[in-house]
Amino acid sequence: MLADLAQNTLDGLGAGASYAVLALGFTLVFGVLRLANLAYGPAIMLGAYAATWVSLHAPVPLLALAAITVAGSVAAGAYVERVCFAPHRRARAGSGPAGAAAMAAMVASFAVWMQLEEAATLALPRHLYAFPPLTTGPPLSLGPLALRMETPIGLGVAAAVCAALWWMLYRARFGLAVRAVIERPAAAGLSGIDVSRVSAAAFAVASSVGGVGGFLVAATHGQVTPHLGMWTTLKGMLAMMIGGLGSLPGAVAGGMVLGVLESHSQWYLGPQARDLTAYLLLFALLAWRSRGLARRG
Amino acid sequence: MAPLLEVRDLVTAYGTIEALKGVSLTVDKGSITCLLGPNGAGKTTLMFSITGILTPRRGSIRLAGADITGRSPSAVVGRGIALVPENRLVFPGMTVRDNLYAGAYQRRDRAGIEADVDRMLARFPVLQARVGQEAGTLSGGEQQMLAVARALMSRPTLLLMDEPSLGLAPLVVAEIFRIIAELNREGVSIFLVEQNAHLALQVAHHFYLMVQGLVTFSGDPGSLAEDEVIRRAYLGSA
Amino acid sequence: MDGYTVGVLTNIGLFSFLALSAYVLLVAGELSFGQQAFFGVGAYTAGVATAMFGWPLAAATAAAMALGGLAALLVGLSTLRLRGLYFAMATLAAAEMARILFELLRWQREVNGERVGPDGAQGFRGIRWVFEHGMEAGGFLALIYGVLSVLVTALLVLERSRLGATLRAVGLDPEQAAAVGIDIHRIKLGVVSAAGAVAALGGALYAHHNTYVEPRNFDIMLGVHALAYALVGGLGTALGPLLGVALDVGVLEGSQVFAGYRMIVFGGVVALLLVVRPRGLLDEQIVNALTRRGWGLR
Repeated sequence: MLADLAQNTLDGLGAGASYAVLALGFTLVFGVLRLANLAYGPAIMLGAYAATWVSLHAPVPLLALAAITVAGSVAAGAYVERVCFAPHRRARAGSGPAGAAAMAAMVASFAVWMQLEEAATLALPRHLYAFPPLTTGPPLSLGPLALRMETPIGLGVAAAVCAALWWMLYRARFGLAVRAVIERPAAAGLSGIDVSRVSAAAFAVASSVGGVGGFLVAATHGQVTPHLGMWTTLKGMLAMMIGGLGSLPGAVAGGMVLGVLESHSQWYLGPQARDLTAYLLLFALLAWRSRGLARRG
Repeated sequence: MAPLLEVRDLVTAYGTIEALKGVSLTVDKGSITCLLGPNGAGKTTLMFSITGILTPRRGSIRLAGADITGRSPSAVVGRGIALVPENRLVFPGMTVRDNLYAGAYQRRDRAGIEADVDRMLARFPVLQARVGQEAGTLSGGEQQMLAVARALMSRPTLLLMDEPSLGLAPLVVAEIFRIIAELNREGVSIFLVEQNAHLALQVAHHFYLMVQGLVTFSGDPGSLAEDEVIRRAYLGSA
Repeated sequence: MDGYTVGVLTNIGLFSFLALSAYVLLVAGELSFGQQAFFGVGAYTAGVATAMFGWPLAAATAAAMALGGLAALLVGLSTLRLRGLYFAMATLAAAEMARILFELLRWQREVNGERVGPDGAQGFRGIRWVFEHGMEAGGFLALIYGVLSVLVTALLVLERSRLGATLRAVGLDPEQAAAVGIDIHRIKLGVVSAAGAVAALGGALYAHHNTYVEPRNFDIMLGVHALAYALVGGLGTALGPLLGVALDVGVLEGSQVFAGYRMIVFGGVVALLLVVRPRGLLDEQIVNALTRRGWGLR
């Protein structure tokens, strides 16, 4: 019984590492950049699909696949930024109710979500594709427990990404510009910051973090499906919500908690109940936190 | 000598409404030039047009002879113009120090930036006292100092100031104008929009009156009786 | 009219209910990804009523609308204080929960020697009302459009009324509306319930047209489409969402021109359209201009 508990927790941490990286990306987009980007998950999926496509045609090393996933996510993300967010940025800073422009951008992002999903399924139409696994070989034996090597690797990646992001945002010149643009875009421009360049670059950083998360997911699951876009969105959002919006370490913690929670609920209640629990948790968190996430005024 | 800033027949519109109907004025190098006028005259629109936040429909803006009409705000900063906006617009969630760093964003000389930060803190002691605080927690006067300091961090040749005395206590306002005069002595050209005509005329070398999108008067502070200036500035009669 | 055209027109009619459901919420300023859940609630409720308990269609539909409205109200009570994006995510979570619950729903009865009822992921077969009452495709098409016309007329009338204006005010400028004393929360709750009932109405008709529904029918993509139809067609009038449905289902899908690329085209259209017309084709501006000219009737 105890061994089960420990094993599930260990497995949960492994899954949680991927969720943590996804949550970091989502925190960047939704919490820091404050963009309601519904095409974020689908852009990640496109990156993973690009890597899958390549892996189907040539035996490429894992690191290269990771790079392709990131590149694909960044490319798709750039498209999303151009089409959905850049055009409405002016409107947000200038005249008109800020809500209207933000709503239009969000809606545009879900239109692009539809586009990206269809593009992915056109390129790779099957319901499931194998993805090269992160590790081959048997798990490490720690007494009665089995440690899949994905777990420490994933945890290491999550920690590294978190540290890198934190340093970028709070210690680097670029991060200063990002924070300025988010707080007061007009004042940022007046300080000499190129608002559209910085916004695009920040978006690219968020996309690459998403790409890393997407690669981890694909490589630890050993497969990709057309649901990956929606899946990463829900997991990422949920982990972000658990960890508290806008906090980078919180995102990592949220990802871990989600991973462990899912691992246990799947063990005791089965896969459908696992998904149901996840959605219920997201809904409950949103409903409970609604005061904190309430509309202004 | 060619003026530092030359605005010619500038027209800027919001949709169908022309806020600037053909504004022409100049700012001489090394001077303090003041723009007076009632609310709604288009003074802020002019500032935003010069600094690239708004794009003019017609006309031109030249800085030291080079055309900067319609350039982006960051490009304008790169040319050496900095604006201290109306309502200060500091970055509320960032510390005073970070606000200053933001102002120096386009500069790459680390040592120079650090030296300038120290100089700003020395010049504005209230900021030194609050250097690690979030700018949003500062008082109006302190935020005004911060906004000026932030603008100065880019080492501008032309400093634009939009209503620096707005909403501030008289003592603070006096301090601000003392700093304006001091900066000018150090070689910074200043283009100042002000409601407080009395104070403005005391520092300005030249002033303009603007009413409903057009310049209606141009002259030196002595050329018009002060109460006449004030009358025109507040009531907008030509 | 050939079978294919009847089919396309039927789909346009059925999806219109869903699009209108998303539309009323959008007018009130809320983006919901979950209307397909109430569509499903309506489908299952009405199907259970007629196929398992022999209810007449009208009563079954009424029950469907009641349940749909109630379910929506429950969701709204927990989520309406959330900001736009988070409300949208909450509706998405709620809709997916509903879909999973449909997958877990197993409830069958013996009717005329056969087991009838929802069978989990396998779906709900045997919603035979149209066969039992000898209704052909054309007849059901008339029924769908008959109900739709009543709904649209009611909405158009509502839009001209003070309530309609209040709704729009709440959606376009909630701060302003609150400042003049409008109870935003109550209004939004009312709209959420009404939207749920409208979606459920469509679902009830959908179930009886198809005679078979399964949980997979009510996935996120359905809700996303409903939203897109309302947003492209325009938020200025109840005819807007109908235009959106007609454009996608009628023109794009019906003409098979962009077969396989339909979503890419449609998605692209929506995104680009939003840059120039954030409120859709038939937005408030155009509708005002057209109605001032009296639709050319004066």
